[in-house]
Amino acid sequence: MTVLRELRGLTEDLLNPTLAEWKADGGKVVGFFCCYVPEEILHAAGIMPYRLRAPHCTQTSSADVYMSHFNCSYVRSCLQFIYEGRFDFIDGYVFTSSCDQARRLYDVLRETTNGRFMHFLSVPHKVSQSSIAYYRDELARFREKLGDHFGVRVRDVDLQRSIEVYNETRKHLRALYQLRWADSPAITGTDVLNAMLAGTALPREHYNQLLVRLLAELQGTERVPDYRARLMIAGGGGCDDPAFIQTMEEMGGLVAGDSLCWGSRYFWQETEALEDDPLLALAAAYLERPACANMVDKVAERSDFIKEMVRCSNADGVVFQRLRYCDLWGGQLLDVEHKMRQSGIPLLTLEREYGTSSAGQLRTRIQAFLETLGR
Amino acid sequence: MTTQQSLLNQIADGIALVRDGMVARYGEKHPEWTWIHGLLADYFDTVRRAKGEGKTVAWVNFGAIPEVFWAMDIVPVVCDGVTGSACMVLPDGASKYIDLAEGVIPDHICGNNKFFVGAAMSGDISIPDMVVQQSSPCDSNLATYPVIAERFGASFFCVDVPYWRDEASFRYVAEEVKRLVSFLEEQTGRKMDFARLQQVMEYSNQAHDHILKLNELREASPYPYSSIETIAEYIPILALAGTPQLADYARRRYELTRDRVERGVGSLPREREKYRLAWIYGALAFDFGIMAWLEREYGAVSVAHMNNNFVMGPVEDLSNMDSVAMGLAHKLVDLPMGRECYGPWETYVGIMIDLCRRYRADAAVFAGHVACKHNWAIIKLVKDRIYDELGIPTLVFECDVYDPRVASSDDIKGKFDEFFETYFE
Repeated sequence: MTVLRELRGLTEDLLNPTLAEWKADGGKVVGFFCCYVPEEILHAAGIMPYRLRAPHCTQTSSADVYMSHFNCSYVRSCLQFIYEGRFDFIDGYVFTSSCDQARRLYDVLRETTNGRFMHFLSVPHKVSQSSIAYYRDELARFREKLGDHFGVRVRDVDLQRSIEVYNETRKHLRALYQLRWADSPAITGTDVLNAMLAGTALPREHYNQLLVRLLAELQGTERVPDYRARLMIAGGGGCDDPAFIQTMEEMGGLVAGDSLCWGSRYFWQETEALEDDPLLALAAAYLERPACANMVDKVAERSDFIKEMVRCSNADGVVFQRLRYCDLWGGQLLDVEHKMRQSGIPLLTLEREYGTSSAGQLRTRIQAFLETLGR
Repeated sequence: MTTQQSLLNQIADGIALVRDGMVARYGEKHPEWTWIHGLLADYFDTVRRAKGEGKTVAWVNFGAIPEVFWAMDIVPVVCDGVTGSACMVLPDGASKYIDLAEGVIPDHICGNNKFFVGAAMSGDISIPDMVVQQSSPCDSNLATYPVIAERFGASFFCVDVPYWRDEASFRYVAEEVKRLVSFLEEQTGRKMDFARLQQVMEYSNQAHDHILKLNELREASPYPYSSIETIAEYIPILALAGTPQLADYARRRYELTRDRVERGVGSLPREREKYRLAWIYGALAFDFGIMAWLEREYGAVSVAHMNNNFVMGPVEDLSNMDSVAMGLAHKLVDLPMGRECYGPWETYVGIMIDLCRRYRADAAVFAGHVACKHNWAIIKLVKDRIYDELGIPTLVFECDVYDPRVASSDDIKGKFDEFFETYFE
């Protein structure tokens, strides 16, 4: 299990040896907070995209000077780490209008830090030809500003190449999910999340190689031990803690599928190759893929996607988790509860704080849910 | 009336009672104080009768542009106005419906949105034909209006508003406005009568022209409005833009206010107007009386409010649909709260500094609605910038503007007591 062990090690901290090497060689890293940022543009510029997490963040006292306790703990934890200098290896940040919390982080960071590249993408809240065209123009501005700041020219042909590289990732991750959906899978949900997270902090070609090795390795490995019930985890951002999944699996659940922006929604849709306008291809792919709750015209589709993931993973029940003060996923709950009840799918809803993956109350509720599933 | 209309009937009856009481008490001495309640009472009467009269009904959030609805004979039910009015006239305020909603969605979602989720669940209100919103300014709106439509079976449309305020973004919103018109045509089976829309826009322009002039007159000292009127105009202006009733109100209000300013007449006599407050956030719907209390207790007049800071000018070119759509796009983006609470924080703080400066505020008040995470995230920056630029303090407190159980009137008055003691006495 060499690759799995390697992947686990990569997610423990913010920096990993490959990333450190990248930096030592003069490589640039740009951080982002939301999966609506097309990483392909950064990759095409020779910059390593890095999705921000704040693992093991235990307090947010510096962040709380500026942001209030009504702001979500994921955003405040990231801000805390920035103030503590934990992200000093990052050369810039890209923000989006995906949620109120993240967009205000852009304001607070601009006012309270300086010297780094910062860019903001206005992500439309609905999908239409004109919204895709609008986002395409946003991405064009992003490409231009990135080029100006880092002194690189991102050509269409570079973007085409990066789209291919990222589509390769998506293909591998699909294959990984096929394996996790098996009746007797070769990988746990915890390790799937570890594999997903590793990709957020590695040069993409290196990550693709790891995924190829992982898939090969999993072909001949032992199955995971028996489990009481198969779970599908759904909901909003901030679900980037393998320990949270591990808690469920330690109690006898097998997290066999997900609808998360750190999971299936990240890779579900490939980017179509549009040779004459790769930016348009990216805008369409990112807006049309399984949507976050910030997309107003996708309420039914979001619940349908959860049901689809339940079907694919043959799950016995859904754990719908979200961070406290996340309004977007909180509102979606009204539809999810209704649709799951209609479909006879057991549902557990959890409100969490970032970084409290195995808190006692969560454990109790998960345990009770597993018992109600009767397995 | 069906039982499903019972909530709107209660609100309409309650507002009518308030109006009648105001007329009886102040009709002769301060007839202008009754005008707003008259407008609101007539509006709610229209709203409650709409279903029975076979009209198409749309729930809209505060930023939606009512002109296109009135032009198509669709009755726009401005949700924020309904919740705010429920707070004023229902025995338990909005709490019954908020509690119902909290059984299915989190408590940290806005009380206004929870109120409509709860009302829809209760069956005390008819599900509308459609729900229409704009995507700014907050997640709470984004999270609930489309879900309400999906869950309870109404058609849905969202006017998408970008983060930026550049030409490309306004063009995008103008296209969205045209799509809204197409949506309404599709839903009603009727074509927009452009001549009718032009007429509605004329009324809207007349109203907004007078509102701009009123903004200038309200700079006067003594302040020519009462503090409560400063915020009470907010919902009627939002809901009734494009109607002759609002145009007539704005004209009469302008003439009266001009006369008061010329005569130096204020809500309080000049010598009793000790402090001028600018509310940079939060309309305390459950107790606007706090503003009257501030006048009595401290001689503190609320001379400006973010929500009543309507600064958009008339739409000048009404000759074709493209120019009207562009004008409405600018209006939509510039509506109070949508304008301040979406986009970079500099927009918000810049407008609030201008507001405080223009109305010569001695202090700013941030009534921090707990659901508004977007503004809670920057209040430290805003407060500091206001102090740096203007040298005035900002009172910041937590509340739910629709629910006194988070912070009661007495709690809030206590905050003001401490504030005045610290900074002014």
